[in-house]
Amino acid sequence: MAKDILVLGPAWPEVFLACAAMALLMLGVFRGESSARLVSWLSVGALAATALLLSGTTPERGLTFGGMFVIDSFAVFMKMLVLLGSALAIVMSLDFNEREKIARFEYPVLFLFATLGMMMMVSASDLISLYLGLELQSLSLYVVAAFRRDSIRSTEAGLKYFVLGALSSGLLLYGASLIYGFAGTTSFAGIARIMVDSAGDMPLGVVFGVVFIAAALAFKVSAAPFHMWTPDVYEGAPTPVTAFFSVAPKIAAVSLLVRVLVEPFGPLVGAWQQIVVALAVVSMLIGGFAAIYQTNIKRLMAYSSIGHIGYALVGLAAGDETGVRGVLVYMSIYLFMNVAAFGAILCMRQQGRMVERIDDLSGLAKNQPMVAAALAISMFSMAGIPPLAGFFGKLYVFLAAISAGLYALAVIGVLTSVVAAYYYLRIVKLMYFDDPVDVFDQPIGRPLGLVLAGTSLFTLLFFVYPAPLIFAAGLAAAALYAG
Amino acid sequence: MIIQALAFYLFSTVLIAAAVMVISARNPVHSVLFLILAFFNAAGLFVLMGAEFLAMILVVVYVGAVAVLFLFVVMMLDIDFSALRQGFLRYAPIGGLVGIVLLVELMWMATVWAVAPGASEVGVARMPAAAQIPNTQALGLVLYTRYVYVFQAAGLVLLVAMIGAIVLTLRQREGVRRQDIARQISRPRERSVELVKMPPRAGV
Amino acid sequence: MAEFWTNFAWPTVTITAQILVIVVPLLVAVAFLTLAERKVIAAIQMRKGPNVVGPFGLLQPFADGLKLLVKETIVPSGANAAVFVAAPMLTFALSLIAWAVIPFDAGLVLADINVGILYLFAISSLGVYGIIMAGWASNSKYAFLGALRSAAQMVSYEVSMGFVIITVLLCVGSLNLSDIVRAQETVWFAIPLFPMFIIFFVSTLAETNRSPFDLAEGESEIVAGYFVEYSSMAFALFFLGEYANMILMSAMTSILFLGGWLPPIAVAPFTWIPGPIWFVAKISLCLFVFLWVRATVPRYRYDQLMRLGWKVFLPFSLLWVVLTAGVLVATGWAPR
Repeated sequence: MAKDILVLGPAWPEVFLACAAMALLMLGVFRGESSARLVSWLSVGALAATALLLSGTTPERGLTFGGMFVIDSFAVFMKMLVLLGSALAIVMSLDFNEREKIARFEYPVLFLFATLGMMMMVSASDLISLYLGLELQSLSLYVVAAFRRDSIRSTEAGLKYFVLGALSSGLLLYGASLIYGFAGTTSFAGIARIMVDSAGDMPLGVVFGVVFIAAALAFKVSAAPFHMWTPDVYEGAPTPVTAFFSVAPKIAAVSLLVRVLVEPFGPLVGAWQQIVVALAVVSMLIGGFAAIYQTNIKRLMAYSSIGHIGYALVGLAAGDETGVRGVLVYMSIYLFMNVAAFGAILCMRQQGRMVERIDDLSGLAKNQPMVAAALAISMFSMAGIPPLAGFFGKLYVFLAAISAGLYALAVIGVLTSVVAAYYYLRIVKLMYFDDPVDVFDQPIGRPLGLVLAGTSLFTLLFFVYPAPLIFAAGLAAAALYAG
Repeated sequence: MIIQALAFYLFSTVLIAAAVMVISARNPVHSVLFLILAFFNAAGLFVLMGAEFLAMILVVVYVGAVAVLFLFVVMMLDIDFSALRQGFLRYAPIGGLVGIVLLVELMWMATVWAVAPGASEVGVARMPAAAQIPNTQALGLVLYTRYVYVFQAAGLVLLVAMIGAIVLTLRQREGVRRQDIARQISRPRERSVELVKMPPRAGV
Repeated sequence: MAEFWTNFAWPTVTITAQILVIVVPLLVAVAFLTLAERKVIAAIQMRKGPNVVGPFGLLQPFADGLKLLVKETIVPSGANAAVFVAAPMLTFALSLIAWAVIPFDAGLVLADINVGILYLFAISSLGVYGIIMAGWASNSKYAFLGALRSAAQMVSYEVSMGFVIITVLLCVGSLNLSDIVRAQETVWFAIPLFPMFIIFFVSTLAETNRSPFDLAEGESEIVAGYFVEYSSMAFALFFLGEYANMILMSAMTSILFLGGWLPPIAVAPFTWIPGPIWFVAKISLCLFVFLWVRATVPRYRYDQLMRLGWKVFLPFSLLWVVLTAGVLVATGWAPR
């Protein structure tokens, strides 16, 4: 029995990342406080090496650790996104942390552990490994949210996130215990078999369990109405941490939500489809309307991310392979445009202080045309203006919804994206047509500049050659449904 | 069997009474002490179930370590519970409503509860009979093989918790003199003691 | 009715008798340990020690006991009476119930449970409650300081004690105390695991709040620490509890490292002496070292105490756990 359990093959990237994170922790401890930059770059290197290992794993579906860990094309695709998001966030943090005097070596190490947790979430194929991956990720995130510990807003963000996160973990465990009580197993494959067998008479408790689990995961992806924590945490956390929050954990939680709903609860699609539709509609509405009144750019991005999750859930609501492909394409494009937006937000510095008001962006185009152009590309893309990348993301999810017959959902999606376009375009108008009030500090720093340039170029030029991403997403979605 | 039954009712009654006292005691220190009593009785229930390893670990970890620190903090903090309870009446209706809704849902669910017919076949980890293998060994047999992944993952979660606690609280204070024992004991004799010949009645 | 007699009444009587057979000699031993302490320290300091009451002062402990018994029990007015009274009882009870699992000879044990060593560890980790409750309930700053010190200290040293116990368990493959003793028939664990033996012994000093780790009492700085407000029998119970704990810890050391009831070498003159005698002899040896340390080593400062526990013992014992496990697996000595 012990032999087939310790087949590490499919999990090598995770094993490597865990060892690298601990090694870097030791390095930081023994090199002292001054090692933050070194550890950061080495962390980026570790993430790159993990991605390399990941690309070397076999593409066919494999289970290990007694069926608790699964690897397939879906997992590889999502893990690549997560690794990319984390690496970009660490690079973006470098100069910021040194300026804000929070450059400590634990910061990149916690990012690595969070990333490890996300990879474990993506690969979870058991309720227990799901929970532990989720906790590893969340616990690291609680700490980095409060990383600027002398700032009241940052500690408040950390504490709020922690309390509400603990609540959602409680919901998740409660739901999981109900499912376990019914199915007698925690493994996804076993639950799926039971669900198929007893599809006729499903007791109420199972539906309750699914609802609890879905609610907990909706909390983690910050889908409305479980989004209350998002604006406060996004506003209070240090800006690069917010950038990280808005991409990597979201991608991991979305992929977890997709896998949980499709794999073990696939036969219950009728039950969960309504929930996902409701989440998508409410999220799109909140994301569209609540963001209009925001004056703080980080809060605006929080509502914007709630809206984007709504669009991604539209794809999931379709409940078929095309829909999942749409989710994957949407999340990948979201990663790039969101990082570009946060890269620009990180440039908002006046006399060495970060500023966060939207009005501070006035006339940015005259002072820093490149940053303004990057932010404008990102905003246009988020609004879904063709031919930018964001348009394709929306296109694929709405097409999936229509082919699944969810016409109303697609119409609501299009209408809310028109509303959302208002505040995205308002930022562009501020930057290009208003008079400058104050000049932002220059230079923005080389690492940040490179991230900004790379992500905005991707967003701008995606339409030239979209095939690889679409193809990979299609493969990943097919793998999920084949398994 | 009668003794087991008596012990069960004793432990459960005390457990529930202690749990009620935890939330109703006015003095927070008394609350923690009742919590410890509750843990202790839970350990007793574990023993009755034949899970003596869990019982002992519960006492060692929760009672012996966690609750001590908890007690420590509660004794040190001067918590004004009347201030904490100030919003109680205002929020009681909403809180009570949520509680009642959850309770009704739970009872409703319990009445229609069923276990899937195939549930016993898909289950994988089965507890061996206590007569064959002592439960410490039985736990060890699955913990490091079948569940090694989650075991290690739980270890990582704890590591992150530890890093987090240090990151958020450790401050290097200025002007603290620290003892460096290695430096103290590597000091050569010549630098620390001096032999002085004093003529009698000369003074220093 | 006959069934009632055989199933309930008779076992109750026999178990009570067995408990008395353990507890009464234990209390006598505690009484004479206090005398032994004064005599040993006196000898080390070249004094005579108690020598007035009875021959060689042998009746001194009884005189002390009588004195405490007839004094008035004082509950300070600001004290939390219930907790104040419960604390010494708890300390005393805990120091006695641990003896239920101690094997005095092969098969000579009140409760031969599977997880004996965990039970001992659990009970010894509870000891801190008596102290912390006493310190808090007394409503006195000296008592409270003593209690806080002792709580932090006992929790800290428990960690490395746990690792030491794990090392021994790795070599035995059982949590049963009799099995642990039997596993030492070829060689006492004190020899192959010598560093762990030392760590364990020092940790027991800290765990019992004995000198040089007696900061919880620290009579020269915080008067008498956690029991400064206690008098009469309440004080006597603390006193008895502390010494019974010393004996218990010595018994634990003997079982884990010195081969319990086993003779040093299994050859003729040694095997004639019955097991319990060997066991008592080993306990006495450990107790003597307790007293010896008290007479010779000055008290640790608090930061030094914490440094020793967390920065020296913990990493070292962790390393030894890994090392022992590695050696056992590599050589195939690991118990099946």
